[in-house]
Amino acid sequence: MLEVKIIPESFYIGPINVGHSVIMAWMTIGVLIVLLVIGRLFLRKMKDVPTGFQNFAELLVESMYNFAHSKIGEAADLAAPLVMTFMAYVFCCTFIEITGVAPATEDINCTLALGICSFLTVNIVAIRYKGLKGRFKLLAEPSPVVFPIKILTDLIAPCSMAIRLFANVLVGGVIMQLVYMAIPYVVPAAISAYFNVIHVMIQTFVFGLLSLTYIGEALGEED
Amino acid sequence: MSTIGFIAIGAAVAALCCGIAALSMSMATGKAVDAIARQPEAAGKINSSLMFGLIMMETTAVYALLVAILLIFVLGAA
Repeated sequence: MLEVKIIPESFYIGPINVGHSVIMAWMTIGVLIVLLVIGRLFLRKMKDVPTGFQNFAELLVESMYNFAHSKIGEAADLAAPLVMTFMAYVFCCTFIEITGVAPATEDINCTLALGICSFLTVNIVAIRYKGLKGRFKLLAEPSPVVFPIKILTDLIAPCSMAIRLFANVLVGGVIMQLVYMAIPYVVPAAISAYFNVIHVMIQTFVFGLLSLTYIGEALGEED
Repeated sequence: MSTIGFIAIGAAVAALCCGIAALSMSMATGKAVDAIARQPEAAGKINSSLMFGLIMMETTAVYALLVAILLIFVLGAA
């Protein structure tokens, strides 16, 4: 029988209610920190002419920065590192699924937290670059009548992002389980290449793109 | 018909939305390709707005799948 948990299983450590996804999320954070420390040790001295690993790191950072710059202009200085952090977290959290354990992003609490973080980023970047007055002014364009609707749209954005990521990861897991039930040999390997690798990359990209798009909307710039 | 049969039909109807989303995606992509063929220099901007639209359409499809899964596993299990 299929295992689908909408409400994640939880257990108690002492008096604290701990979910499975919390442990997975902390493990992911641990792995990310270890990777960062190793990367930092490799790159003790930055060279002017990059070689090897530094090339790769610079490629990642620069392509992210250029992408953000093409979307939101000057604000990329502040927003690009944040969005890249979200993307790294989402990618690692979801990529764990390839080992067979339930990923942290399969829990709606985790994705909702990510959505709220992205919402805060949008507002902080917008207020930093446009000021509090400018932020509200932009919400009341083209006429003050749309102000409540725009507020609602902004507030729904994190929920929509959360449900999108959660549903995508859940549905990917369900489809993989169905395939395993139907044909347990060879075929799942090919299909898991899509659902556990490419699908994860697409979702990560979508999360970053949506964050940047919302930031661009809040800044009121044409991309 | 048993209750589980009705639940299965409901899930199937909910999942029909996936087909509609696929149709709308095909329309949007076709229009975007048309636009790029007419104005190749605007390909970057067209691509980015196409991506945004495709994400929104894909979201509706995923919502429909989520509704179908909830119908089966929450209503069906109860």
